[in-house]
Amino acid sequence: MSTSKSTAPNRPLSPFMIGPYYKPQLTSMLSITHRLTGMGLAGGTLLLAGWLIALASGPQAYAAYAGHIGAWYGQILLLGFSWALLYHLCNGIRHLFWDIGMGLEVDAAYRSGYAVIAVSAALTVVVWLFACLT
Amino acid sequence: MAQFTLPRNSTVSKTAGRHYPAPAGAGKVQTFKVYRYDPDSGDNPRVDSYDIDMSACGPMVLDALIKIKNEIDPTLTFRRSCREGICGSCAMNIDGTNTLACIKGCDEIKGEVKVYPLPHMPVVKDLVPDMTHFYAQLASIEPWLKTDSPAPTRERLQSEDDRARLDGLYECILCACCSTSCPSYWWNGDRYLGPAVLLQAYRWLVDSRDEATGDRLDQLEDPFKLFRCHTIMNCAKTCPKGLNPAKAIAQTKMMLVERRT
Amino acid sequence: MNLRSPLGQARGLGSAKDGTHHFWVQRVSAVALIPLSLWFVFSVANLAGADYEQVRWWVGYPAVAVTLVLFIAAALYHSMLGVQVVIEDYVGNEAAKITALLLSKFLHLVVAVASIFAVLKVALA
Repeated sequence: MSTSKSTAPNRPLSPFMIGPYYKPQLTSMLSITHRLTGMGLAGGTLLLAGWLIALASGPQAYAAYAGHIGAWYGQILLLGFSWALLYHLCNGIRHLFWDIGMGLEVDAAYRSGYAVIAVSAALTVVVWLFACLT
Repeated sequence: MAQFTLPRNSTVSKTAGRHYPAPAGAGKVQTFKVYRYDPDSGDNPRVDSYDIDMSACGPMVLDALIKIKNEIDPTLTFRRSCREGICGSCAMNIDGTNTLACIKGCDEIKGEVKVYPLPHMPVVKDLVPDMTHFYAQLASIEPWLKTDSPAPTRERLQSEDDRARLDGLYECILCACCSTSCPSYWWNGDRYLGPAVLLQAYRWLVDSRDEATGDRLDQLEDPFKLFRCHTIMNCAKTCPKGLNPAKAIAQTKMMLVERRT
Repeated sequence: MNLRSPLGQARGLGSAKDGTHHFWVQRVSAVALIPLSLWFVFSVANLAGADYEQVRWWVGYPAVAVTLVLFIAAALYHSMLGVQVVIEDYVGNEAAKITALLLSKFLHLVVAVASIFAVLKVALA
C-alpha cells in the first residue's frame, strides 16, 4: 500500500470552499471578518497618516484633505473605517478572553459572537451620532 | 504553496453525475448527492444522485450509504467499521459540516443530503481521503509516556484531579473532522499540525506522569506547528465527540507564555 | 517527486523554538489599543465640523499629542504583527513571502515615523 503522497497517482483535492462546500458558520464568518477588518484598518492607517501630514503641512493641504473626507466617498470610507475599527476592537476583546482560556465552549463562543455583532454596530451608530450632534 | 482553489484535476464535473431514481412505490424519498471519484478512469470527480426510500433504510447517513452500496451502486467506496461513533472511520463532510456518518441522522437534514469527503484532502477514491500526512503528524508529537525516572514497581500514581485533567482529551477518536474543518490547516496543513494532533499533544503535556513537558513544549513552539491557530473555532463546532481542540490549543499557548513570564 | 517518508515530511525542519514572543507582543499591543482606540474614535468624532485652527490646537495640546503618538505607535506595531501573520498564512513561495514581509515591515515603519513626525511638528510649533 502506498504510504506516501509522492508515490501515489495524482490524487485530486477534496472540495473545501466555504459557501459551496463547507457550511458558513458564525465561527468562521466572524473570524474572517476580523481578518478583513484588520487588513482594512492596516490600509486605513494611510488615511490617518494623510490627515496628520495634511495638518502639519498647512491650511491649503488640510483644506484639500478635508474636502475629500467631506465628500460622499470620503464619508463612506470614514464609515467603513469606523465600523471596521469598532468591530475589530470588540472581536479583539473576545479573542483576548479566549487567550486567557475563557469562553472557548461552543455555546459561549456563539453568544459572545452575537454580542460582538450587536455591540460593534451599536457603537458605530453611537460614534456617528456623537459626531453629528457635537 | 497554499491551495486556495481546486486544482484542475479536482474540480467537480457538473455534467458527468449520474442519477439513480427511487424504485416505484417508494415512501418518503430523500436524495443523496454523493461525491464520486474513480482513480482508474482518470476523469475528474463528479456528484451522483441517489433517491432513497427512507422507510426502507436505517436512520443514519451511513445506513443510506450502505444501502446504496448494497442495492444500487456497489462501486461506492467509503470507510466504516463500528457504526456507533467510536472508531472514527466514517468521518466525512455531510450537509456542509464534518461529522461521523454513523451518528448523523438523515432526518437532521432538510432536503438533499450532500455527502463529500473530508475537505482539502487528497482523495484516494470516492469518500476515502489519504490520511498518511495526518497520521505522520500524530507520530511526530510522540504520543506516548516519556519518563527519565526509573519505572515504579507497580502503577505510576496519579491523583484524581490529575486524572481529571485528561478528560476531554483522551476520548479523541482521531477521526480528523476537526483538522479538516480548519481553514488554517487547509492552507498550511503541510506545516501546521492541526487541532486533532495539537489536542493529543496537549493530552501528553498535561499528563502528570509524563516527564518530558519542557521538551514537548520546545517541539511545539513554532510559528507554523502551533501558532497557525488563530482561534477560528471551526474545530470545536464540528467535533462529533463534543471535544474542544480550540481550548486545548489555547491552554498550550498559555503554558508557553507562562514558562517565559 | 518527493521520496521522503511521511514522518520526515511531517517533522520538516523541526521546531523553530520561537513564536511565543510574537503572540505575546500582539496581545500586549491589543490591550493597549483598547483604551487608545476608543479615545481616538471618540476624539475624532468630537472634532467633526472643527476648522483647521481648532484641529491644530487640539493636536498641539501636549496631553493629546502624547496620546496620539502612543496610539500611532501601538496601532502600527499591532498592524505590522497582524499583517505578518496574514502574509505567512497565504504566501507560500518562500522568496515572495520574505519580500512581502520586508515590504510590510518597512511600510509600517515609514507610516509610523511620518505620522509621529507630523504630530510633533504641530505640537512643537
